[in-house]
Amino acid sequence: MQENIHLLPLLCSFTGALLCLLPVRSFDKIISVIASLAAFGSVIFLLTKENIVTDTYYIDGLSKLLLLTIALLYLATVLYSLAYLKHILNPLFKNKLYYFLLNLFATSMFFSVSMDNIGLIWVGIEATTVTSALLVATENDQVTVESAWRYVIIVSTGLVISLIATTFIYGASGTLSMHELMLHHPNNRVFLLGILLGLIGFGTKAGIFPMHTWLPDVHGKAPAPVSAIFSGVLLPVALYAMARLIQIHNLPVVKIFCVTLGILTVGVAALMMTVQNNYKRMFAYSSMENMGMVLIGFALGKYGLLGSVVIIISHGLAKSSAFYLTGNILSVYHSTALHDVHGVLKKMPATGFTIFLASMAVTGAPPFAVFAGELFILKEFVHQYNWWLALLIICFLAIAFIAVNVRTGRMVFSGNPPDNNRVFRSETWVPVINLILSALVILLIPYIEKLLANLIGS
Amino acid sequence: MEQIFQILGFFLIVLTLLMQWEIYVNRVILLFSISSFIVALFLVLLGTSKPGEGTLLFVLAGLTVFTRGLIIPIIMNRALHSLYKKPWRVREDKPAMGVGGSILVSLALILGGYFIYQNSLYEVLKIKSGSVPFALFLQASLLIISRKNAYIQMMGFLVMENAVVMLSGWVFSGLPFIVEAGAILDLLGLVVVSSLIIRVREGAIMQEGDIYEKELRG
Repeated sequence: MQENIHLLPLLCSFTGALLCLLPVRSFDKIISVIASLAAFGSVIFLLTKENIVTDTYYIDGLSKLLLLTIALLYLATVLYSLAYLKHILNPLFKNKLYYFLLNLFATSMFFSVSMDNIGLIWVGIEATTVTSALLVATENDQVTVESAWRYVIIVSTGLVISLIATTFIYGASGTLSMHELMLHHPNNRVFLLGILLGLIGFGTKAGIFPMHTWLPDVHGKAPAPVSAIFSGVLLPVALYAMARLIQIHNLPVVKIFCVTLGILTVGVAALMMTVQNNYKRMFAYSSMENMGMVLIGFALGKYGLLGSVVIIISHGLAKSSAFYLTGNILSVYHSTALHDVHGVLKKMPATGFTIFLASMAVTGAPPFAVFAGELFILKEFVHQYNWWLALLIICFLAIAFIAVNVRTGRMVFSGNPPDNNRVFRSETWVPVINLILSALVILLIPYIEKLLANLIGS
Repeated sequence: MEQIFQILGFFLIVLTLLMQWEIYVNRVILLFSISSFIVALFLVLLGTSKPGEGTLLFVLAGLTVFTRGLIIPIIMNRALHSLYKKPWRVREDKPAMGVGGSILVSLALILGGYFIYQNSLYEVLKIKSGSVPFALFLQASLLIISRKNAYIQMMGFLVMENAVVMLSGWVFSGLPFIVEAGAILDLLGLVVVSSLIIRVREGAIMQEGDIYEKELRG
């Protein structure tokens, strides 16, 4: 009974979702704010509790940190949505349904990172698709709806692969319980195939090459708060499932498979960033690049894993900040094309300055924690592999850094803003707070290390 | 019993081949519904051959008939009716592959599935016709890739899910009931959400034509 306390964040968001449907004016907004605050509070409370491993729950340091990131971005996204939704002229559905789905989306993510059963983690991650597909299509134009459809069909197909993987794992071992599988599991071809297929399947949801094609489409067209929560926590939740599979069967072949996928993801994303004309798609590829690094870190384990978690938290906060601010820019410039956006700093000083800093943060500029996370991963990479491959990764990271920051810098600093008086009542304080928190993550590294002690072996 | 399973597997492959060659959307939905009934029959037979797990498999068969065989086709047909005046005439005008090409590719996929299975998993699993679910999965992938019509792509995805039910029941003795039930619930939710998205998508394409290609490039 005591263990069910770990359901608190999930219950808060789920109750919030149900109450959103009540026919009371503006109740959906108030309830969503309360539910997200309560979920955040309950996660903080859970951080003080011991790790728990039962037949139902698997909540260790990694799960706790994921819960914290989800709760933070859930709260930030609800707060930012309050202002942003007013600027959607022709929404596909009423705000009530938006908040209902957003709360359910958070519920499915809380569920996914708390369960012990791989099958239930799959159910949770598939539920994130069900709850978020309509959120993508909120703005209700043909391109947005097409991107939502691509999201549904590509991600669901990928998740069928991970369902097959789950079948293989269960068929080979007779259990789907993570803690049992970590203690003992068969060492045969079926089990290995299950793990590898699972990595590909969940990798689809995490935006890992070669099943990443939905990611730029969705991030490019979804409303700013939805892009933010997708990039900040949805991708890491799918990576969480991958991390658990790696943890279960940490063979060299699994490691090499993940490192290869990770390097390819970083490389493809970096190269794609250099040809982007759309700032939202550019930030989407930046998320893909970061997820590639996180996967490499998870595969390497030890300080690589620490680096991955640091990137997840810091990137989640900074990237959500960047995506929220793209919403401010879109509302004033009415275009996502880079060549249409100039002089943001003159038109919207707070937005311009913050988005530039956020783009520096997500591309790994010091002193933001993404930089520290990348250093941890590269250090572990050199320790386990060699300098040449590490140099290749550094080259990709440098390409991404230049591509994103030069383009963002041009948007912010160069030229003059359009001659219109349209001023967006922007919610700049939410992205600013997220960016400050992202900068502060570097101070929390010792605490994160302590939480992950059993995983990194320190 | 193994031979009955093989016959059911053969029927499922034939039905998927028919879906591959069919251009009318409502007939593809009907073929999917029939294939779901066959999957349910398979689960019932599996239940009778495994006395310990019989009840759960019967419940699962019931859920399969209810959701995949009835509810999902009804939802998809309703979506068709709400969008088109003559829903029975809705068709995929320009499939990426002609009938001849799709016959060849489908047969190649069945053979490919067989060879991959024989050379990788048969050694461990020792089930002669274990390649059937893999062939079904590959066929369904072809259906998704070769069609542009969202309804037919959705049917391809659902056939994939049926292949997984076959795989888990036949080759690996099933998944835990809570996972199977969760998967069915997710599937139902996904179909409801997808049918909404498809309706808006097809409506926009009917009014404006395909204008999305340029913005979603790169």
